[in-house]
Amino acid sequence: MAQIKQSLVISNPDLRSLFEGLSQRMDVIGVVERKGKYVFDRVSRFEDLCLDYDVTVHPPTRYLLPAREKVLSMSFEGTPSASAEISAQPQVLFGVHPYDIHAIELLDEVFMTKHADPNYITRRQNTLIVGLNCLHPSPKAFAPSMGTSRAETGFDLLLTDLGEGFMTTVGSQRGADILDEFAKGRTPSDNEIASEKALLESAEGRYEVKLDIARERLPKLLDAHYEDAYWEEKSEACLSCGSCVMVCPTCFCFDVKDEVALNMKTGERIRTWDGCMLTDFAIVAGGENFRHDKASRYRHRIFRKGKYVLERYGMVGCVGCGRCATACLPDIASPAEAFNAIAEKAQIETARRLIGKAAPDEDLYTPKQAKVLRVEDLAANEKLFELAFEDGSTLGHAPGQFVEISVLGIGEAPISISSSPTRGDTFELAVRNVGNLTRALHKLEAGATVGIRGPFGNGFPIDKLEWKDLLFVAAGIGLFPLRSLIQYVIDHRDSFGRVIILYGTRSPDQRMFEAEIESWKADAGIEFYETVDQGDDSWTGNVGVITTLIPDLEIEPAKTMSVVVGPPIVYRFVIGELKKKGLADEQIVMSLERRMKCGVGKCGHCQINGVYACQEGPVFTLADLRNLREAV
Amino acid sequence: MKPKVAFFDFTCCEGCQLDTLNIEGQDLVDLVSAVDIVEFREIHTGKADHYDIAFVEGSISRESGIERVKDIRARSDMLIALGACAHIGGINCLKNHLEMDEALDIVYGEDAKYYDTIPARPVSAVVPVDFVVPGCPINTAELVRIIKEILLGKTPELPNHPVCVECKMAGNVCVFEQGKTCLGPVIRAGCNAICISAGRQCWGCRGLVDDPNIDSQMDVLKKYGLTVEEVVEKFKIYNTYSEVAK
Repeated sequence: MAQIKQSLVISNPDLRSLFEGLSQRMDVIGVVERKGKYVFDRVSRFEDLCLDYDVTVHPPTRYLLPAREKVLSMSFEGTPSASAEISAQPQVLFGVHPYDIHAIELLDEVFMTKHADPNYITRRQNTLIVGLNCLHPSPKAFAPSMGTSRAETGFDLLLTDLGEGFMTTVGSQRGADILDEFAKGRTPSDNEIASEKALLESAEGRYEVKLDIARERLPKLLDAHYEDAYWEEKSEACLSCGSCVMVCPTCFCFDVKDEVALNMKTGERIRTWDGCMLTDFAIVAGGENFRHDKASRYRHRIFRKGKYVLERYGMVGCVGCGRCATACLPDIASPAEAFNAIAEKAQIETARRLIGKAAPDEDLYTPKQAKVLRVEDLAANEKLFELAFEDGSTLGHAPGQFVEISVLGIGEAPISISSSPTRGDTFELAVRNVGNLTRALHKLEAGATVGIRGPFGNGFPIDKLEWKDLLFVAAGIGLFPLRSLIQYVIDHRDSFGRVIILYGTRSPDQRMFEAEIESWKADAGIEFYETVDQGDDSWTGNVGVITTLIPDLEIEPAKTMSVVVGPPIVYRFVIGELKKKGLADEQIVMSLERRMKCGVGKCGHCQINGVYACQEGPVFTLADLRNLREAV
Repeated sequence: MKPKVAFFDFTCCEGCQLDTLNIEGQDLVDLVSAVDIVEFREIHTGKADHYDIAFVEGSISRESGIERVKDIRARSDMLIALGACAHIGGINCLKNHLEMDEALDIVYGEDAKYYDTIPARPVSAVVPVDFVVPGCPINTAELVRIIKEILLGKTPELPNHPVCVECKMAGNVCVFEQGKTCLGPVIRAGCNAICISAGRQCWGCRGLVDDPNIDSQMDVLKKYGLTVEEVVEKFKIYNTYSEVAK
């Protein structure tokens, strides 16, 4: 009994009996010669089958995703109705090269996972795949560069032509079953194992086209060259004929049209192949064409092949079969050529950068001296420092940004800026004493010198907050960064609607900025609600966690933006309450705390999944965080 | 009320009308029950004053044709050019490369004095045309589709991609890969690449796509061994009237 992953040798006559056995049960789609080229077609005689082809003109994927197929049957008698139309005949794709097996695996990912496509799946489940290792690469192919010249999965059987007999690797139970039924597999000899290895290695050495860089680098490389002149230059000769996408095994885009019978009683909804290289692919009824020029279509296809598909599905978007390069009459379609051209440009740019035309930022890690002008006690463990640069310059920050503050000899730490840039040439940092650096800071008095780098980070999105009602939620020392924004809003009071502040602290003695808060209420018309987790004898206000303040609020969700700052635990609960109030993810802004050691996107400590909080953050909307699972 | 439909011919072989009459089976039954064919010289002698849809085959190549097609236009709600001659002038325009006297002499010899002729032109060069059914001859499936879409109140549309798309869908080996040349990359699809599927090549009977990259197509044809003259000749067969051949 053949086992999955097992390799057995079958004789040449046994391959014929496998072919003929399968022919009795299903359509056999194999490679035949036509007009001096190779094509996949129905094969009824084993003699017609080509097992030493280089590449076929069209990929075998057309037997899983036909050029034209019915997706719905429609009836217009009485109330118009539609029903899904799914049918598939059992078939075997016989002699599929590994690069095409990889393409089919991509289609499986696209059509069989999220929003499972009934037509594709029905056909796929009725399809056996007998793979065949490619020993005669096409002159335009570059499968090894794309990692697709060998297949480990995606087939039921995989053959290698050893000359005398075929090494046959079993890829599935169905593969094992047909092998057992139609052929007599035997354990390969050491010679045969060595011979297969040598054949495959020698074939890989014969690919003439190669990628000059590792394919893993493609997404980033392309991204950096989105605006490159290359796309315009290269696409000049493009005929917009669609040949490249029509012969591509990883292309799967389609169009859908209704076709009605002349009697107007019945109809069909038909899907046909479509492709992004065709002029009208991205046009809408109003006439706007969102990829109206050849260059943007050309770039989109190359990005699709080297970046988008990989990022979206985790599999390469180009399998290096070289069909498009063959089909393209002006000879501009080969992704390998485009990838290499872009890689070469990048290399030249890198070289230029390394040669030293780009000046180093000498002061990147050097703090600038600032004087402590004033120190104010905020609470038992918190102090406010007013600072100014000794050279007279201003910080030039935006609300929500942070600085790296140094006490030389002790260290450096990120601290959010607590004052608004609208409050003069000095700036204020409110600091809780929690570690070595902050302890050292707390010991300083007016007149002392500290080091400052920054400002860093993105700050609060003022443009998104303007003209809106604002709901600020400050938990504990979340008020520190939020204060910079509150002051800014007060100083531009006419540009904002209602301003509501919710402030929660653990206990009454941890409340800070009391006098200032009173002036916010009195002078700026700010609605202020406060709670403490635990009261004491003198406390007459609300007791309870900050989330308890939210349900009773009267807000107009459509015109409200909320800004939440607090410890991580607070976010989860506050977000839930805000959503209940009808706020969308885009309307919930947060400032996240992370260990931002360098502030310049290098040290790596502040990463939230792949995002650097010190660069893209620390302020995010909840919508920004959808794909950042580490965030809250 | 079934729409009143009429068919007319100008300078042409009437092949597109013949092909219309070749519509077979259920389609034919459904077609004649969906529309009223009030005028169609090839099948009956009926006449009408007004047409909902007038199909016009043929290019305009005589002074008298100009007046006649204007009259048809005036009496029609919708006028549809049927086939390559009406759509793009077609092969009739090959004579436009000659002086008209010379053309008359070649064709009619001594009897030339009995005839008049003007440079051939598509119907749209004389009167406004609402839609076209391209091809030499037309693809009757496309004609049926266009009629159905008009009956449904849809605006019929032609594919704006070249023949290559349908040729690839048909699974053909590219004509260029066979060592021959083809106009497919710049010619409007809708024929299902019938000529290439039959072992031939595209001559361009359906006219150019909206925004053809002619320079590149010329380069391609030259790269595959044609001289400039041969390239232009290739375009002239059906597309003399277009900018390309000028």
